[in-house]
Amino acid sequence: MEHSLFSKPRDLFLDIVNPRDYVQIDSVSHMYQNLKTSVQKPLKMILLYGKPGTGKSMLLHKLHHDLSKHQKVFMIDIPIIDESDFLRVLAQKIYSYVNREAITLTDFLELASAVNYAQTPIVLLDEAQLYSTLLMEKIRLISDARALKFVITLHKTQDEDIIAKEHFQTRIWESIELKNASPEELKVYIQKKLLKANCFDVANMFNDKNIQLISKLTRGNYRDANKLMFSLFSLYAWYEEKYPSKIKYNALKTKWIEMAAIHTGLIRA
Amino acid sequence: MLDIPSLEQRWLKYKIKRSLPYLLTVVGTIIVVITLNYFLNPDKVSIPLTIKKEVNQSKEGSKTSIHDEAMVLEPSMQFIQSIPVTAPDITTPEVNTPAKPLPVTPKKILPVQKNIPSPLPIIKNVPNTIPTPPMPKLIQSNPNSIKRDSATFNIHEIEDRFTNNSNPHLGLYIARYHYDNGNYSEAYNYALKTNAINNTIEESWLIFTKSLIKLGKTDQAKKTLQLYISQSDSEEAKNLLNSLNKEGTK
Ligand SMILES: Nc1ncnc2c1ncn2[C@@H]1O[C@H](COP(=O)(O)OP(=O)(O)OP(=O)(O)O)[C@@H](O)[C@H]1O
Ligand SMILES: [Mg+2]
Repeated sequence: MEHSLFSKPRDLFLDIVNPRDYVQIDSVSHMYQNLKTSVQKPLKMILLYGKPGTGKSMLLHKLHHDLSKHQKVFMIDIPIIDESDFLRVLAQKIYSYVNREAITLTDFLELASAVNYAQTPIVLLDEAQLYSTLLMEKIRLISDARALKFVITLHKTQDEDIIAKEHFQTRIWESIELKNASPEELKVYIQKKLLKANCFDVANMFNDKNIQLISKLTRGNYRDANKLMFSLFSLYAWYEEKYPSKIKYNALKTKWIEMAAIHTGLIRA
Repeated sequence: MLDIPSLEQRWLKYKIKRSLPYLLTVVGTIIVVITLNYFLNPDKVSIPLTIKKEVNQSKEGSKTSIHDEAMVLEPSMQFIQSIPVTAPDITTPEVNTPAKPLPVTPKKILPVQKNIPSPLPIIKNVPNTIPTPPMPKLIQSNPNSIKRDSATFNIHEIEDRFTNNSNPHLGLYIARYHYDNGNYSEAYNYALKTNAINNTIEESWLIFTKSLIKLGKTDQAKKTLQLYISQSDSEEAKNLLNSLNKEGTK
């Protein structure tokens, strides 16, 4: 099974966030450029929000990867909900201030004013919906004092509109919404991913009808697309081993895409 | 792994279910046409008869051809594939809202804002009066505020998200949450799951062993720590193991 033509493309679609796997998709790249300029503006906090699986963490990791070449950036991808822990970790990572004891906001701001960076250090917070209102308020104060600049991602759920929360309503927030991909964008996403890994034969199997169906099933959600592609290629690998003659190499079988969608739960059957 | 034969069956059922309404409409229309025809031209009784015949013939025809194919390969599949495909029944995963315009319009939000009293007037004064440190007092006097305001925080939602996206960071977060709340068996479970996804996260191993200790399974905790130390050279794990051994000798 491991020598299969399909095992490599299958593993490309594991749901992993790694900035090296970032794919340029027009609308996303545009957003990313905006993000990079916004980050250099004074006194702005940046909010990346969107439904699950729209690429927020990916964009944040990419930003971290690119910015860290030029300036001080620190990313907290697992939320630190305890407030004094939060300040302590920041103090350590950004100002190399090691202290086992709790740090107050006042201490922290004093520390910040004592250390001079050419550019304000940037802190990236993933999954920021997990932070308390109180901690968000402190984050805002740190940003107000120009000690640090924050870029945060918020996962938006159906039943709760976190962006409507009072602390995101102030002008200092610049918000960028990430959306699901259009069929064209999804095509670019899948094709680029395959081509980047030299899976040319497999990339050639996708025709427009296939893409339309995949887009319809996943609604252009990147995570759902990953899941669907993963099980589709697993399915192809299985047929390749058992019934190779059933595989057509000039197009994907609608039936098999639908079977993969049933397997991933995108189709209820 | 994938169970392709059963997937094939589920797919077939799905196709039949999908095409049933279509078949029913076709049959229904034919019946309506026949009856209408009959009532509008009651004299020409022959018309429905001929149609009936045709229908019967075509039925027989298709039956035999299907039968022939059955000898060769997947007959039912062929039959199903010849039926026009209608839009697939897409399930709506609970997290994925249909593309609705975002309700971020200020009009909608304002009332919410009004209802919520400005949460922490004391903090707002802080930047102006930096020398006085009101923060720690505030935190200590209200220890619950450190945790989460219950409105936004629902650990089950995060657990669901973890089940969905198997993100080890979320797993660790949940393990830590349960550990902090004294729920050690849950902390153990989630740390275990997290380690299964990514076995290089130090904190997850530590929560795992600390939960074991809290659950009274010190021996297992020691074994786990030794195993982890052999792979990672973790200082914290060594310290923890040392203190466990000391306690043991006391
Ligand atoms: N531009 C991109 N290039 C490559 N892969 C991407 C891109 N955008 C999204 N992905 C893929 O989509 C998957 C989901 O994206 P990501 O984890 O960033 O979503 P998210 O918005 O952070 O979701 P959640 O709200 O659940 O945290 C990632 O695993 C990644 O593989
Ligand atoms: Mg994310």
